[in-house]
Amino acid sequence: MQVSTAFGQFQTIVNADPSSVAEARRRRNLFRDALQPLRDVVSVIPSGSLARATQLDPIHDVDLLVEFVPAEHPEWGSPGGSADDALTYLAGQVMRTLGATSGTVANEVRLTSKRNHVVKCFLDDPEAEDPFAVEVAVALRQSDGSLLLPERYNSRWITADPEYLISQVAGRQQTWSDFVPLVRVLKWWRTNSAGLDMKSLAMEVLALRCLPVQNTRAAALAQFFTAAATEVMYGVFDPAGHCGEIQPDLDRDATRSKLLEAAELANEALDAETAQDADKAVALWTQLFGAEFPQPSGQQSAAKPASAVAATLIAPRRRIRDIPQG
Amino acid sequence: MAVSSADRLAGIVGVGERDTLMFPTALNLPAGHPLNVADIEPRSGIWHRGDPALQTAWLDCRMRSAVLSTDGFRRLVTDGWINPPANRARFTLIYTPGETPGYSAWWVGQQEAQPADLEVSGRPDLGWAQLEPGWPVNVLRAMRVAVIGVGSIGAAAAEVLAGYGIGTLALVDPDRLLSHNLIRHPLTARDLGRTKVAGLADHLRRTWPETAVEPLALDAVVDADRIRPMLKECALVVCAADGVTPRRVVSHLARHARIPAVLACVLEDGEIGEVLRLQPWPSRGCLTCQREHLAGSGGFDPEPALDAPYGLGSDDRPMTAVAGDLHLVGTLAAKSAVATLLERAGHHDQILPGDHLLLALRPRTDLPPPADLRRTGDQRWLQVGPPVPGCPTCDPDTGPR
Ligand SMILES: [Zn+2]
Repeated sequence: MQVSTAFGQFQTIVNADPSSVAEARRRRNLFRDALQPLRDVVSVIPSGSLARATQLDPIHDVDLLVEFVPAEHPEWGSPGGSADDALTYLAGQVMRTLGATSGTVANEVRLTSKRNHVVKCFLDDPEAEDPFAVEVAVALRQSDGSLLLPERYNSRWITADPEYLISQVAGRQQTWSDFVPLVRVLKWWRTNSAGLDMKSLAMEVLALRCLPVQNTRAAALAQFFTAAATEVMYGVFDPAGHCGEIQPDLDRDATRSKLLEAAELANEALDAETAQDADKAVALWTQLFGAEFPQPSGQQSAAKPASAVAATLIAPRRRIRDIPQG
Repeated sequence: MAVSSADRLAGIVGVGERDTLMFPTALNLPAGHPLNVADIEPRSGIWHRGDPALQTAWLDCRMRSAVLSTDGFRRLVTDGWINPPANRARFTLIYTPGETPGYSAWWVGQQEAQPADLEVSGRPDLGWAQLEPGWPVNVLRAMRVAVIGVGSIGAAAAEVLAGYGIGTLALVDPDRLLSHNLIRHPLTARDLGRTKVAGLADHLRRTWPETAVEPLALDAVVDADRIRPMLKECALVVCAADGVTPRRVVSHLARHARIPAVLACVLEDGEIGEVLRLQPWPSRGCLTCQREHLAGSGGFDPEPALDAPYGLGSDDRPMTAVAGDLHLVGTLAAKSAVATLLERAGHHDQILPGDHLLLALRPRTDLPPPADLRRTGDQRWLQVGPPVPGCPTCDPDTGPR
């Protein structure tokens, strides 16, 4: 089996089921149709992975930003209770229009729950395992184009620009049609790699930084894993420059080890492909991504991991004085 | 043609008809090139239109060290044939547009036509572009690297960095080039008395015209306030400054600018070369921390508080390291720097074995571990340890996270 064939098959496993994407879009549009006509709403903006087309199966949630007319809510945007008030108000509007018993537009939302930045609206039974929810945020547009979002737990409003990542991802996708599918592959790897505690958003931002436009998906991934192993050590930050580090408690060294391990396999696979050993290359990619990656058609060859040898230290007879010259 | 007999070299400086010069062809050679001062011999060659078969014959003759008979040659000249003079061979250039090669050059005598070596100068397709796509030219062209300390090691490193294709080099050193430097420094007496950064900048512009060079006659310690913002614009800093203090300052400034630093020097009496890469990562320590780790292992003194003067070649302060060894360490520092930049750009073949290289140059038999290298050229790569608690450079409260 050729490597590109294997990646083609793997992509269909990684991609979300089209019917569940369609259902997620239907539910997103339902919210847009209910909230957009409201007098104090400027627009309802899709955000999150569905808006960036980087969603994986199963789709648990969909994100929306509801941009309000500032003049209609002059008290919003200042520190204090208005952060909580705004989310309470939005939750009320959702239930009024979409509530299961008395919604004016539809009867689909069973429960709303205020979180730190969003109102989580449950369309499935909230007690079910991974119930589907639409997460709706309040947003006020600032003069520089960025958005002001409430942060309930800290009784304040923060500046954010989620549209920046959406436009960056869309721009990269225009340059290379494999980009977004490969981001899904990387998110899939993230989810299915034991011991990797990286947030999905951190992986997407890392991909934006380190996944290059390349001739093949294999070459791009090999370059990504190598670059990301270094980049993650510098920390992964909000690409729009507003929200700081995305995951301050990320274990950078552990993540680097995982990425380096993948880089080693990916580059061995690339070398095998260059040497026209497609079976060995596919076997190495299977080792990297696990059993759901297609198996090679021929004999499988084993890949050896690199090992580091530590220098042994014994008692010195003499000491080096550090007096640089030259 | 301009003719330099000593070099057996001729350059075409103009083309015309009979005695009228119609097209002067500037050679655009740099100052000091022998053809710039060579005698001009008018009407010394002939420009023919020829059969493309002449170009193939030229390649063939050169490969087999063969010649054409003048009669055979003449039959392939399309027009304008003039018999060569009796006393010497005449230079002849054949041009066939659209063919490869488009040019061939010959010495045509009474009996035979001998192929001549030919170089077309000033071609637009030269430069770093020739290295693509095998070498990531555009990645490195976009980078700015600072070299702090351009003595023998730093100047060699700067040359090699330019050769790797770094787009911009900022050179930092307050010192002037003095007579005693010449035995080890890549610059020559041509730049005696100038600041090393000015001389090196001119040298690099001549040698590597695609690299932009910014000479800064500053002292890493005294002028730290001016170097700090400059480093924020750099992807990496190479430090080959003499002495403990400037190296500590660079280690500190680089960490706060969130860029890697590559520190290069020779230790002891030029016995050991050292290239130390410091990454501004929370889990990696600075120069002081790494020295403390090694001191804990017993092999190294912690950084002494006072700098010992380096050798000047006088009786009481002998010069102990030799140019080739210093340049080798500079080259390895440049290689480590470029590898660091390329690894971050995803080039797996540029991952170094470690962060801290010890290289035996003139090893004594009693070097302690981890420098117990017995043969010249032996290398040992160590890892850089974590920050030592309380280190003023690495402390997350004052340093970067
Ligand atoms: Zn430190």
